[in-house]
Amino acid sequence: MSDEPRTGAGSTPLGRAWRRAVTAWRRFEGFHQEVFEARWGHARQREARTQQDTLRALLMLESLGVDNPVAYETLDLIPYMVADLHEWHQRMGRREFGAPGGCC
Amino acid sequence: MPAVAVLLGTLAIFALAYRFYSAYLAKRVYALDPDFTTPAHTLKDGVDYLPTNKHIVLAHHFISVAGAAPIVGPAIGVFWGWGPALLWVVLGTIFGSGAHDFGSIVVSLRSKGRSIGTLAGDVIGARARILFLLIIFFLVTLVNAVFAIVIAGLFVSTPETVLPVLVTIPLAIAVGQVVYRRRTAALIPSIIALVLVYACIPLGQLLPISLAPVAEATGISENLLWIVVVFAYAFVASRLPVWLLLQPRDYINQHQMVMALAVIMIGVIVGMDTIAAPLFRDTPADSPPIFPLLFITIACGAVSGFHSLVASGTTSKQLNKETDARYVGYLSSLGEGTLALCSILACTAGVMVYSANSGTDWGTLYVDWEAASADPQGMFVEGVAGFASNIGIPESMALVFGALVIVSFAVTTLDTSVRLKRYVIQEIATITAERFSSGSASRRALSFLARNVTLATLIAVLIPFALTMVPGDFAVGTLWLLFGTTNQLTAGLALSVIAVWVTKRHRNPVMILIPLVFLVIMTVWALVIQLGDFAASGDAMQTFLLAPLDAIILVLALWMMVEAAIALYKAWKNPPAPEGAPGGGAEGGTGTAGASALTDDSATDAGKDEGESK
Repeated sequence: MSDEPRTGAGSTPLGRAWRRAVTAWRRFEGFHQEVFEARWGHARQREARTQQDTLRALLMLESLGVDNPVAYETLDLIPYMVADLHEWHQRMGRREFGAPGGCC
Repeated sequence: MPAVAVLLGTLAIFALAYRFYSAYLAKRVYALDPDFTTPAHTLKDGVDYLPTNKHIVLAHHFISVAGAAPIVGPAIGVFWGWGPALLWVVLGTIFGSGAHDFGSIVVSLRSKGRSIGTLAGDVIGARARILFLLIIFFLVTLVNAVFAIVIAGLFVSTPETVLPVLVTIPLAIAVGQVVYRRRTAALIPSIIALVLVYACIPLGQLLPISLAPVAEATGISENLLWIVVVFAYAFVASRLPVWLLLQPRDYINQHQMVMALAVIMIGVIVGMDTIAAPLFRDTPADSPPIFPLLFITIACGAVSGFHSLVASGTTSKQLNKETDARYVGYLSSLGEGTLALCSILACTAGVMVYSANSGTDWGTLYVDWEAASADPQGMFVEGVAGFASNIGIPESMALVFGALVIVSFAVTTLDTSVRLKRYVIQEIATITAERFSSGSASRRALSFLARNVTLATLIAVLIPFALTMVPGDFAVGTLWLLFGTTNQLTAGLALSVIAVWVTKRHRNPVMILIPLVFLVIMTVWALVIQLGDFAASGDAMQTFLLAPLDAIILVLALWMMVEAAIALYKAWKNPPAPEGAPGGGAEGGTGTAGASALTDDSATDAGKDEGESK
C-alpha cells in the first residue's frame, strides 16, 4: 500500500481518512471473523472429520475383502485417502499402520 | 437514585476490581507464569488446541457465557429491592464469578486443557466425576424446561414477536450459505440479516402469529402448543450440522445482544431516569425469605457454574499465554455482571418509563412473589422498551425488540443445552454400560444409547418436555429456583476443584473457600426450605415430583460437600504437590482410559456447546 503513488483522491485529507476508515473496517471484520471462528471452528472441523472418517471406513472395507460395488469410481479417491492416512491411524489410537499398503 | 449513577458507579467498581483484585488472584493464588507453555502450543492440533489472540478469546468466551439467565434471575431478584440484588451481583461477580471463571481456566491450563468434569475426577476423586455429570444433567434439564416456558410465554403475550423470530431461521441459513459458498467475511451479511430481522418487527405487528385458534380447536393450551413447537425445533436444530443453522444464527443473535446492551446503556444515560423500586423492600408477609433465596434466584450474573464448562472446554485450549487467563476469565465475569446490572436497571427504572406503567407504583408490578416470578421476562422486556423509547424508538416497536432479545437468547440457550444434555446422556450411558458384564442385554442397550445420537437427543428433549407438561402454576418461578440451586452446585464443584488444586500447592485458598462455603450454605439452605414447601403444599405434583427432585439435588449437594472436604483435608495434610504429579492438576495430569475417548470428547464438546447455553 505504501508503494502506491499518493495521487488522486487518496492523497487528499478526505481520501486518507477514507483509507484509514476502510483499513479499520477490515481489521474489525477480521476480528469479528476470528471470534466466531474461535467459537465454532472446532465443532465444524469435528463434523467434517467425522464425515471423512465415515468415507474412509467405507473405502477401507474393500481392503478388508468386502466388495465395493462402486470400486471403479472410488479408485480415484484412494490417493487423497493415503495423503492423511498417518494422521488418521494415529488419531484412531494405532501408533503404526502396516498392511495393506503400509504407512509407517 | 438516578439509574445512571448506579450504572457508572458499578462499572467503576468493576474496573477497580479488575485492576486490583484480579491482580492479587493472578499473583498470589494462581501464581501465573508468563513463561508457562500453554496447551494451545504443546498440544496444537488446529482443531481444539490453537493459540489465539487474547482479545479474540475474550470476545468468544464472553458471548459464550452471556445469555438469558443473567437477565431472568435479576428480573426476579429485585423483588427484595434493588439494593440486595445489586449488592449480590457486584460482590458475587467480583469475589465469586471472577475467582471461579479465572480459576477454572488456570486449573484447566495446567492440566493439558482438560474439562472441569475430567478434572473433578482427577483432582477430587473418581466419584466426583459421576457427581459432576449428575449435577449437569439436572442443570440442563431445568434450563431446557425453564426456557421453553419463557419462550412460549413471550410468544403468547407478544405474538408480534413470532414473525421476526421465525424469519431469523431462513435468514441465518442464507447467511451461512453466503459466507461458506462465496468465502466472504460474515460481518456484512450478518448485519444485513439483522437489519432484515428488525425490518420484520413492523410486519410482525401487522401479522401477529397466534396459536389461539388451534388451542381452541384442540382444547390444548396455547402455551403448551408453543412449548411443543419450541422443543420440536430444538430437536431438529441440535441434529443439524452446526454450519447450517447454529453458527450463522449465532451471528444474528450475538449482534442482538450487543444492540440490547447499547440500547439499555444509552437509554439510561439519555433518559436520566430514577430507580422507582425501593432500596430494601419490606416484602409481603408470605414472601420467601431473602436469605437464602436471593442467592439462588440470581445465579448467573453473580456466580454461574456453567462458566466453568466453557472455561475448561474451549477457552483454556486457545490461550496463547497463561497470563491471558486473568484478562479473559475475570473480564468476561465482569461482562456477565454488567448484563445482570442492565437487567436490574431495566426492571427497576426502565419498566416505569414504559407508558403502560407510568403513574403506577413499582410495588404493584412486584406485588407478591407470584407476580415477581410469573413473568420476569415480561418485566425486562417492558424495561428495555422504556429505555428504547428514551432514544426515540417507538414504544410498540421497542417492546417487540425487547421480546426479540429475550427469545433470541433463550432459543440459543435451549437448543445448545439440548446438545449438551445429549453429550451428558451419552457419557452417563457409556460409564454405566461398563458396570455390566460384557454381552449382557443392559450393556448392549446402554452402549446403543451411547452411540445413537438421535435417541440420545430425543431423550434430551422429552425429559424437560415432560417437566413442562406438569400441570400447576409453578412454571418459571419454581423451576427457576431449582435451576439456581443446580447452577450454584456446579459452581461449588468447580470451586472445590480450584480450592483443592490451590491447596495442593500450599497457597492460601481462603479467597476460593469463602465463595465456596457461602454458595454451599445458601444452596443447601434453599433446598431444605423448598423441600419443606413442596412437601407441605398439598399439591400432588409438588409433593410427588418437585419434592423428590429437590431431595435428589440436596443429596448431590451433601455428597459434594463430603467429597470436597475429604479432598481439601488430604491436600492440606500432604506435602505440596510437585508439578506433574498425578491428580495434582499439573501439566502431566493422569491419563484416562477406556471410555475416556468419549468422556474427554464429550466433556470438551459440552464445554463448547454449553457456551451458548447460559
